[in-house]
Amino acid sequence: MRTDPLLRAWGWLLILSAVSTVLAGAVTRGLLPPAGMTAAGAAILFLAWAKAGTIISRYLGLADAPFWHRGFRIVMAAYALLLLALYAMA
Amino acid sequence: MNAAAEQSPLDQLPGDLMMWVLIVSELLVFGAGLAAFLAVRITDPVGFAEAQDHLHRTGAGINTVVLVTSGFFAARAVRAADAGTRAATRVWLAAAAALGLVFLVVKGIEFAAKAAAGIGVETSPFFTFYYLLTGFHAAHVVAGIVILGLVGIRSAPRSVEVGAAFWHMVDLVWVLLFPVIYLLR
Repeated sequence: MRTDPLLRAWGWLLILSAVSTVLAGAVTRGLLPPAGMTAAGAAILFLAWAKAGTIISRYLGLADAPFWHRGFRIVMAAYALLLLALYAMA
Repeated sequence: MNAAAEQSPLDQLPGDLMMWVLIVSELLVFGAGLAAFLAVRITDPVGFAEAQDHLHRTGAGINTVVLVTSGFFAARAVRAADAGTRAATRVWLAAAAALGLVFLVVKGIEFAAKAAAGIGVETSPFFTFYYLLTGFHAAHVVAGIVILGLVGIRSAPRSVEVGAAFWHMVDLVWVLLFPVIYLLR
């Protein structure tokens, strides 16, 4: 039996949010070395991009509009890279 | 060839074109704000990290669960409206709006705690961005709750889809805002 795509998207968003929070907790408690902190920050931004993609695809329904879906994903990826560059410069 | 591939790009777009113009405009505004936040952080990463320690990450994490669940309810309302089940549409919309209120209560508690600690807009550049971005987002949550209530009156499929799209935009902004302001060190 196939799971409802909306339900799957919701579950996926909860999992991604939980992983982000756990990663941030590890950074705040000093459990990671300095290089690991930057990697954790990059991972948190990647997870944010993945969450945004899920909302765009499933909640906003762009999964059924390939042209716009592709465009939004490309722009969001470029924006995530911009944020990553600004984060890494600090 | 499938149906979506045969349609022109504008025909593929779900909901109302003007709502998409609004969604993109809002994303640009918040996107610029978050990029500016990270750009200013370059000048004082230690100060930003110290200021971030005053934020309530658990509360913000709870609000993330609240908003993505609320978005799920709004998406279910669209599905119910498409199926022509008006009562179910209203129940899903009411559930989505109720979680929006929960978000605002948690946010209000967070703002009140900051005020009690003497932290305001001018305390530091971090808190200037914090209040501007999260406050502006909270204002959109208020607007979204009103819109969900209004589209629930008639529960017409197209109106519900447009209202839910606005709500998903609010959700989308939060999943970007939450990690950048609350989590990144």
